Amino acid sequence: MEVMEILENLRDNYFYFIAMVLFIVGFHTMLTHSNLIKKVIAMNIMDTSVFLLFVSIGYVHGAKPPIMDTVQPEGVYINPLPSALIITGIIVAISITAFALSLVAKIYQYYGTIDADEIAEIRGSEE
Amino acid sequence: MYALEHVLNHLPAILVISLFVFAFIMPLLFIWKRDWCVPVATLSMGLSLAMSLALVIQVNQVGTFVYHMGGWEPPYGIEFRVDYLSAYMLLVLHGIGLLILVYSIGDLKKELADRVIGWYYTLYLLLMGAMSGMALTNDLFNLFVFMEICAIAACAIISIKEDRECLEASFKYLILSAMGTGCYLLSVAMLYMITGYMHMEKVAVALETGAAEYPYNVLVAMSLMVVSFGVKSALFPLHVWLPDAHASAPSPSSAVLSGLVIKIYAVAMVHLIFRAFPRELFEMIPMLEIILWLSTLGIIFGSIFAMVQENFKKMLAYSSIAQIGYVFLGIGLFTPTALVGGLLHILNHAVMKSMLFMVAGIIIYSSGIKRLQHFDGIASRLTWTMVAFTIGGASMVGIPITGGFISKLYLAQGALEVERPFFLLVILVSSLLNAFYYFPISINAFLAEQKREDITFKPVLKSMLVPVLILLALIIFLGLNPQPVTNMLEQAAEMLFE
Amino acid sequence: MEDQIVRMICRIIVPFIQVYGMFIIIFGHLSPGGGFAGGAIAGASMVLFALSFNLEEGSKKIGEETASVLESGGALVFAFMGIISIFLGGNYLANLAAGFPGGTTGKLLSGGAIPVITLGLGIKVTSSIITLFYHLIGGEEVEEHGSDGNSGESQG
Repeated sequence: MEVMEILENLRDNYFYFIAMVLFIVGFHTMLTHSNLIKKVIAMNIMDTSVFLLFVSIGYVHGAKPPIMDTVQPEGVYINPLPSALIITGIIVAISITAFALSLVAKIYQYYGTIDADEIAEIRGSEE
Repeated sequence: MYALEHVLNHLPAILVISLFVFAFIMPLLFIWKRDWCVPVATLSMGLSLAMSLALVIQVNQVGTFVYHMGGWEPPYGIEFRVDYLSAYMLLVLHGIGLLILVYSIGDLKKELADRVIGWYYTLYLLLMGAMSGMALTNDLFNLFVFMEICAIAACAIISIKEDRECLEASFKYLILSAMGTGCYLLSVAMLYMITGYMHMEKVAVALETGAAEYPYNVLVAMSLMVVSFGVKSALFPLHVWLPDAHASAPSPSSAVLSGLVIKIYAVAMVHLIFRAFPRELFEMIPMLEIILWLSTLGIIFGSIFAMVQENFKKMLAYSSIAQIGYVFLGIGLFTPTALVGGLLHILNHAVMKSMLFMVAGIIIYSSGIKRLQHFDGIASRLTWTMVAFTIGGASMVGIPITGGFISKLYLAQGALEVERPFFLLVILVSSLLNAFYYFPISINAFLAEQKREDITFKPVLKSMLVPVLILLALIIFLGLNPQPVTNMLEQAAEMLFE
Repeated sequence: MEDQIVRMICRIIVPFIQVYGMFIIIFGHLSPGGGFAGGAIAGASMVLFALSFNLEEGSKKIGEETASVLESGGALVFAFMGIISIFLGGNYLANLAAGFPGGTTGKLLSGGAIPVITLGLGIKVTSSIITLFYHLIGGEEVEEHGSDGNSGESQG
């Protein structure tokens, strides 16, 4: 049956499914919620979900972590390329979060509120 | 000299790294020797301009060549690939970047607080380094890293002014840019899942068989890539961050953002379309049709929005949305002639729009006028500035003798080649709309009587006027004699299409 | 926060956190971690110190100028290792291909240029986290510079 096939696919690849759910949660929150700090948190959730998808691509069941084992060098290691890329990606996400939070601190200093709708009203009445 | 030969072999890496090294030396200089910041920044931009000229000469002699980072062959290592399009884009970036840096020396003392002027040059050099890296790289994840550095630096040079409006505009730009980056990373993950490679040509080879087995992954990857590059380079429905961001930034930042930053994402998209996806895929998935229609909407609506603006810099920002539509029109028509037109428009618009933003900065510096209705009769005091504005406006419309005419000619020829004369009509209508909002300003400035007597005009600094005049000469030179540039671009388009 | 218990425990535990951070940085090429993770932990120790004592005491330990110099210095170490490998004959950032001494796998002094790069990166990330903390928590005064072109502009 079609439904049984879909449920079996979900049970085998549950990493990908969870990553996609987190991505959509982060994307939707970033667009619709009006609190600026929530937008920054949602940006982090979105980036983390893509990192989760990337790392789980390289996973092999029952293999060793990708560090050179001097005692017993043979055997199956998991794919080291996604892990190495994601370390760089995490640092990039940290930098963007730091910059966004300092911008929010400055906006609070100037406007007195961190609600995006109120800021748009203040800007509209100033023009 | 042995050292010179050594440097010439490793030019792609040294170009990008020298900009980053100078960007990191700037904070040290700011603490210990504050007066050296500006000369060292100018020296760094001059060095990188010399290096990009050397790269152009090398590409003309040798053809396309590659550079492996760390000596590791792909797929284990990152590759920098220098072809005609990359060399052309580097020359545009560093030439106009140097002129904007010279302009900013005089302008920044008035617009920014004293303690942040040294940091402005750090961010500027980081931005230039990241854009050079984006033009050169041949690796999907390396493109992501350079895209992020470029996004942070671009948002920071807007918000360094610490005004009420530029903070909000910079935050909006940052959030939308982060959304675009998330989508790009997801599409890279999809491509990696099918092919297992990060190197663009190997991805194309593996996709020839992989696209038939996993059609949904490829569809998701291509659509997310259009969204991501569309957000970052202001394709039509995703352009909402651009007017506020470019209008409220300090004038040199507006010139860099409108002239260079939104173009480099279009060039990165050209690289991806032509290197990373096999050609048969575009007949099954109508990605280019969608880009074509969105760019048309952008051209028409950008001009319509620009006509109703009262603030001078906001009008120029909406005009940027219309002009970047021409570049995407050249990409979407997908023939060599149209692609040459689109890529030539990158150079023309970079020169024109940077000059127009510099003119706006000079007017604000000298008299404080920001609204178009106060422009009556200012040409009697700021003569050369308004002459530059008139020639720039004529080039935007596409009058012959100026550079803008040549790129629109190529685009029109490309539209006729694929037998879609509707886009020729779009180009003509949009030129007419451009004339509606550029010419009244010039007429107002030259011929009307000056109504307001209380404006005092400060004298314009030489260091602010000279870059404007150099760019003015360049527009006229490109209009009369575009042969050197179009030869290089025709070779680039031929090589991309084979 | 000026609690006695918090200060006492902070005084005891900060050296251990710093040793742990340095351990992860120094063994970065042999075990998981490396410059980023180790730098974050060592930076967190200074953040803990500044939180439980005053911000001025934290500034006395590592001042703002020192943190700025360390930040730029760490990044310059990374860039210069690549330029050194150009001078030694390989491409940019080449490791064993350029002639750095390799050593035996698994020992501390092995891997060519990687330990030096990891050390520079660790110092940079530590001082970055300290600088970010000082600027976000310390705050700055709002300066009203009225000379940004608003003169000569009437209302409307």
